[in-house]
Amino acid sequence: MTGDISTKVTRRTLLAGASSALIASRAWAQQPSEVKVGLLVPISGMYARPGTVMRHGAEMAIDHINAQGGIKALGGAKMKLVVLDSGDSTEKAKNAAQRMVAQEADLVAASGAYLSSFTLAVTEVTERANLPILTLSYSDLITDRGFKYVFQTSATAGSQARQALPQIVKLAESASGKRPKTVAILTDNTAASVASAKSMREGLLAENQLQLIVDETFTPPLADATSLVQKIRSAKPDLLFFLPTVISDAKLLLEKMNEFGLGQGKIPTISFGIAIAEPDMLQTVSPELLQGVLTCVASWGAKGHEVLITELKARYKEPWMTQNAISTYGDMWVIKEALEKAGKADRVAVAEALRSMDAGPSKYYPLGEIKFDEKGRRVGAGMTIVQWQSGVPVTVFPPQLALAQPFWPKS
Amino acid sequence: MHKFRSLLPAVLFTMAYALVSLSVTNSYYQLVLTLVPVWAVFGLSWNLLSGYTGLISFGHAAFFGIGAYTTALGQIYFDLSPWLLIPVAAMLGGIAGLLIGFPTFRLQGHYFALAMLAYPLAILYVFEWLGFQEVTLPMKRDAPIAYMQFGDPRIYTLLALTIMLATIVLTRIIEQSRFGMALLAIKQNEAAAEAAGINTLAWKLRAITLSGAIAAAIGAFYAQVLLVVTPQSVFGMLVSAQALTVAMFGGVGTVWGPVIGSVILIPLAETLHAEAGARFPGIQGVIFGFAIICVILVAPEGLFWKLRDLLRKRFARATTTEVTAAPHTEQPGTAIVTPLPVARKRATSEVVLEVRNLSRSFGGLKAVQNVSFKLHKNEILGIIGPNGAGKTTLFNLLNGFLRPDQGEVLIDGRNMSGERPHTICEAGIGRTFQVMRPFLRMSILDNVVVGAYVRAKTEDEARKLAADAVARVGLSDVADRVAGELSTKELRLMELARALAGQPRILLLDETLAGLGHGEADEVVAVIQQLARDGITIAIIEHTMQAMVRLVDSFVVLDHGAVITEGEPEVVTRDNRVIEAYLGKKWVAHAPH
Repeated sequence: MTGDISTKVTRRTLLAGASSALIASRAWAQQPSEVKVGLLVPISGMYARPGTVMRHGAEMAIDHINAQGGIKALGGAKMKLVVLDSGDSTEKAKNAAQRMVAQEADLVAASGAYLSSFTLAVTEVTERANLPILTLSYSDLITDRGFKYVFQTSATAGSQARQALPQIVKLAESASGKRPKTVAILTDNTAASVASAKSMREGLLAENQLQLIVDETFTPPLADATSLVQKIRSAKPDLLFFLPTVISDAKLLLEKMNEFGLGQGKIPTISFGIAIAEPDMLQTVSPELLQGVLTCVASWGAKGHEVLITELKARYKEPWMTQNAISTYGDMWVIKEALEKAGKADRVAVAEALRSMDAGPSKYYPLGEIKFDEKGRRVGAGMTIVQWQSGVPVTVFPPQLALAQPFWPKS
Repeated sequence: MHKFRSLLPAVLFTMAYALVSLSVTNSYYQLVLTLVPVWAVFGLSWNLLSGYTGLISFGHAAFFGIGAYTTALGQIYFDLSPWLLIPVAAMLGGIAGLLIGFPTFRLQGHYFALAMLAYPLAILYVFEWLGFQEVTLPMKRDAPIAYMQFGDPRIYTLLALTIMLATIVLTRIIEQSRFGMALLAIKQNEAAAEAAGINTLAWKLRAITLSGAIAAAIGAFYAQVLLVVTPQSVFGMLVSAQALTVAMFGGVGTVWGPVIGSVILIPLAETLHAEAGARFPGIQGVIFGFAIICVILVAPEGLFWKLRDLLRKRFARATTTEVTAAPHTEQPGTAIVTPLPVARKRATSEVVLEVRNLSRSFGGLKAVQNVSFKLHKNEILGIIGPNGAGKTTLFNLLNGFLRPDQGEVLIDGRNMSGERPHTICEAGIGRTFQVMRPFLRMSILDNVVVGAYVRAKTEDEARKLAADAVARVGLSDVADRVAGELSTKELRLMELARALAGQPRILLLDETLAGLGHGEADEVVAVIQQLARDGITIAIIEHTMQAMVRLVDSFVVLDHGAVITEGEPEVVTRDNRVIEAYLGKKWVAHAPH
């Protein structure tokens, strides 16, 4: 409604000839002084914490961009972050997206919305409003719908598993001297976990000559992990793929593994996603239990990000830089790049710039380039493998980004 | 005509809402405007079952989710249009209602509520297991209208409003028909409703089927608005809670409740989320919850009833001053019926009800053992006995609440033992209850109409029968007053009228004189005598003998579940066994012989 009133006012004032020049010049002067970028993430409810970390990343990037002189193609215009809360449900996320496109009419691009299902709902709105949006969500579905205004910076869930498996096998082989043959999959039934487990079951394991001997799906939150761990103990797989989304489930299983004498790397444990490497883990699980646990994530603070990691620690008291911080940091730089290329603060032009962008190797996302294919997926998007070492999850793969050497738990 | 007038506010409200929404061009406000009628309809569907029958459903998300997934999967896998899928969803929702209702209606009260809670949660896991964690509706750029994907968001609001108006009209029609009356009767006292000839299971199944269909239809539409369906967003606990919240906040058991609740709560939650939440993330939930708690404390039955009561009170105060100014000439109540000592038709030898060797035990307790007696046409039979003698159990066996372990109940020579109460009521047996359960907010006439449906084919006929019955007990003057304002005596008479409205040939009266003062009891006795004169056969339970001696033709005396004696009042009251049962052995010696 505010938009409606202001256009009416403008129209009426334009008729009053004398002031029209003033308004027009102000409108012209306003444009380059500030460019608004949206960040639609959960900052309330059960996903508030990852959303807040995304906000940290975005704020740091905006400060750095502005300190370097803003958007040069727009006469040094400063970037301004508009944060919207996607809440904790799909409906709230959709409402927030509608609010974003209706009330922040001058946004040129946005980033969001953490959870895949939120991103799916949000992009239904942004697509119709021609607002380009960058996302770190994994779901393949996001860029499978033929949408033109969504850009996925992470490797998709399917692609991550495909990339990770050969690396894990190689890692195990070089560290322990023998190639793993059997695996167990323990997964919860959330969308991202199910997608990863599905691609492993349907071909990936076979491609890597791995045999699936235990396959269990559970519904979070787990009440008791005993029966799951017993199955693993009796089957003795060479690798355990453990895909939790809820921290309490991760804690329960790791503790039970330890109790049964399988912990601390007796059976190498590999996870997918960020849950098992969140700072919150340390509040409930001791670092000894976590030592050696690996997880495959789309992005992580890595080599070349040392200064950023230090700044994040100092400014926001975060113990390390997760995917949420570094990816969102990168999103702002990509949007800046697109604005430079578009040469005007216009969402359609920015989207077009993103589509045709070819800005060379990626600095803030792992591997690949700052370039998007026809689906909106980042070309060559890689992923990182992170390992818990002395109470900190550090990037150990790929080698060019690794901050530490991986070690394979001795069995 | 009356029906159309009662719909006028709904039509006006919908039109005003449509006008407002047409003038809103901001797509975000428009989305909120769309969601208000969506949740209102969901609340209305919940209200149709839980508001009217009082059987609280914590699981309406089951229907909502089925609807949502119908539109989503129907479009993805079969490329069907939502215009077709929404009616299909309604059908599936109705079937789900029937399937869920049939086993679950065996449970009552909290058990029903908890069982309902389980359905959406169970279905949620099924959909997760099937791999439908995230489903998006395909975008149809070439045929947006055929697939209900409008560029102009106002059309969604208009569609939602259409569904809402249709639901309101449907609810109003139900409210004013025997359907609504039956549901209300179930809410007050399911047993009494069954005894009044209402087939409670059939009506409850109809209610849950309709309710499920409406919930599924609106769930289907919701998916179309949200475009993304996840098990949590349509089967989740919060979805079921949403229906309860809007209905309970606005008012339960009225068509306006869910609408009021939705109109206030949905925009409030969204505004808080947008405004307060931006400054203090999370505060919106605290304020929202606090607001709901405050309203529930002040208006436990919902805003609608609170406002209505306030308005009534103000209106009543304005009118009572006028009334008291005029001289009080006429005493309302039973003044017309005066006890007549005139001899009535004596009981004939024709047997209308015969009980043969009736027995029923609860575990080791033999509540009724081997009871036999005959009820003759036009007779008033008093069944007496000390507390715990098995009198009410006997009545429950007679009208079908309990199945006898053995024995027969013959009505006009036909064995009816073991039949459902509403069937026995149809056969011509009416009954009242020891504990009165009037519908406090309804007028006397409306209270009585419930009992008339067993005989009446049309609404008008039911009204006529009810008015008749009210006249027979002498309550015509106060027929329009709400039951909550009545005295115990008037309530007893109203109960009697409700039983009479079904035109029974035999009336079973359970302690109709209990709790009445001396003069009041006489008035009620007079009414009962008049009924007997009009040809109704009556069996009455009482444990005090005084009033009974003047009323009845003969007594059956029960003690410890068995008949100890029967016969004329003068004989029975002198019987040693009766005195012993009532007063104990040592009093027998003092009894006058």
